[in-house]
Amino acid sequence: MSLAKWTVGLLAGMSMLALAAPADAGEVRVTVAEYSAKTGPYFEAVKKEFEAANPGITIKYEVVPWDVLLQKLTTDITAGTNADLSIIGTRWLIDFVQQGVAEPLDSYIKPEFKDRFIDTFLSPSIMDGHTYGLPIAASARAMYYNKELFEKAGIAKPPATWTELQEDARKIKAQGAFGFGLQGKEIETDVYYYYAMWSQGTEILNKDGTSGLGTPGALEAAKLYKSMIDEGLTEPGVTSNNREDVQNLFKQGKVGMMITAPFLSNQIKEEAPSLKYGVAAIPAGPTGARGTYGVTDSIIMFKNSKNKDEAWKLLDFLFTKEQRAKFTQGEGFLPVNKEEAKMDYYVNNADLAAFTALLPDARFAPVIPGWEEIAQITSDAMQKIYLGGDPEAGLKDAAAKANGVLKK
Amino acid sequence: MQSRILPYLLTLPSLFLAAIVIFWPVWDLIQIATHDVNRFGQLREFSGLANFTELFADPDFVAALWRTGLWTLLVVGGALLLSIPVAMILNMDFYGRGLARVIIMLPWAVSLTMTAVVWRWALSGESGMLNSALMKLGLIGQNIQWLASAETAFPMQVLIGILVTVPFTTTIFLGGLSSIPDDLYEAAALEGATHFQQFREITFPLLKPFINIAIVLNTIYVFNSFPIIWVMTQGGPANSTDILVTHLYKLAFRIGKLGEASAVSLVMFAILLLFTMIYVRLAMREQRV
Repeated sequence: MSLAKWTVGLLAGMSMLALAAPADAGEVRVTVAEYSAKTGPYFEAVKKEFEAANPGITIKYEVVPWDVLLQKLTTDITAGTNADLSIIGTRWLIDFVQQGVAEPLDSYIKPEFKDRFIDTFLSPSIMDGHTYGLPIAASARAMYYNKELFEKAGIAKPPATWTELQEDARKIKAQGAFGFGLQGKEIETDVYYYYAMWSQGTEILNKDGTSGLGTPGALEAAKLYKSMIDEGLTEPGVTSNNREDVQNLFKQGKVGMMITAPFLSNQIKEEAPSLKYGVAAIPAGPTGARGTYGVTDSIIMFKNSKNKDEAWKLLDFLFTKEQRAKFTQGEGFLPVNKEEAKMDYYVNNADLAAFTALLPDARFAPVIPGWEEIAQITSDAMQKIYLGGDPEAGLKDAAAKANGVLKK
Repeated sequence: MQSRILPYLLTLPSLFLAAIVIFWPVWDLIQIATHDVNRFGQLREFSGLANFTELFADPDFVAALWRTGLWTLLVVGGALLLSIPVAMILNMDFYGRGLARVIIMLPWAVSLTMTAVVWRWALSGESGMLNSALMKLGLIGQNIQWLASAETAFPMQVLIGILVTVPFTTTIFLGGLSSIPDDLYEAAALEGATHFQQFREITFPLLKPFINIAIVLNTIYVFNSFPIIWVMTQGGPANSTDILVTHLYKLAFRIGKLGEASAVSLVMFAILLLFTMIYVRLAMREQRV
């Protein structure tokens, strides 16, 4: 026992020494977020190809699950042992930029390079006119619906408005299934609420920079979801279902409609190939307003990297059309590269077309410090409302808290 | 003269080790907790007790503090109550005792996180094992959404906490029981003592030091236990199952308030230190009498 402890301690000590030692010349260390089981193998293939083409440069990966990525980066940066490149959520970028952790890439980016990107996806990584990150992954949200359940319930086409969605949910409920899959737990619980909020014409931040949660539109949206829960139009136990749980219910054919990301198509193809489903736009509100959530993850270069030129070479390689296509198609993301988007794979894919059609309505997480805290406040408020709390009081309280954060 | 210094000299090496593994991190925590820090732990100006006052003004923290007390009390208490009879049965000589011991100890061998993950699946509302089992037994007519609200989630978390604490506690008690000589029971039986009297007059008093150890170690362990609650509910919905560690984790790594998170961890350290000191003092006084 104690011997084992010593060995562990020694090993830990040695690995700390190893990390603290200056990086080898020509070695590029990359922290990679694990999107799926395909992420690791993809990057290993990149390493092989890249190292063969660039003798003298070696790549070293640290593949980290999404859940602990921010924690790992925080501790690495605190200890000064961070890698040269890292994938991060673009919504975290502002913290990295403000603390002087991220290196601006402008001196490396040639017009030809910049021209490879679809602007919508590159722009979230640009701050104060400087490009701090490159969109390694891009995604949006759209509504999936179960065609078989729709047919059984006698519904001809996916709902265009939330009112239609409620009616359709009632018909599906009569067939013994859950009408609308509502996510109420863990990451993106707040986002699931924004879909309804955006359709009321309310934004996360008002024009004066205060929180949108205190507006009448926000209240309407919360009331809509609450009434659907009360009426039994959602799956039961909303606050115990995270995104994956609702997706699983959808794959099992138990849920009529749900809003989620393109990668669900890939999962259905592998896990429930016989499921008949379609992808449609997120329903609109009374004024025709609608919004989807656009997300990009950026790959950034650290300011304290000692091998910036080598790291840039790798970035250049990662963002070629061929590499992008391999990665995006494997993971089920949206193309960020213009040439890539013209490939047959995307043009002839009805599911992806529904997503790209929604891009003009896409909102990205606002670039403000303290965004994670506001998201947490919103999620907590929604959970209270879903559990039976009063929407008006809950939103008022959440708006006050969010405004407190915004003032800092 | 020399003999006076000698004990201190002899303890010096271990003191030095303790300084490295205990005092240094605590000192670091104090530094972070009393400064304004950015989310990457870089210290800015000194802020005194601002992080602490902020904490105690936060209703979520205060609620988590009380809940941690309840959680520790229920899990440690439940595990003790369950472990004494289990240990006594396993101490008896019966056919298949080895197998029974292995079965009781088995949960210990499985990683706590994995246990929690399995339970999360089992407690899933629509496709969980527990609901379908209860349904088949005819005990419930409708699926129970175990993890949807704190009223059902927290009791389940406590039960699982007890379940995973039992093996360790039983091991301690088994060691204690095997140190009680059999002739005491034989003599008592000869004098006509009932089983309950034997337990009250022999087993329990002689087991007491072991119970004390189990209480102190389990309290420290359960108070700091993260995986069960984090995996099953992440302290939710709406922070209603948060205990101090999960609250700390969210503060530090979700929201990026490292200063407040360090303050939470110092508060936890202080509570445990105080508890252990008071308890050990009480337990030792009792033994002296």
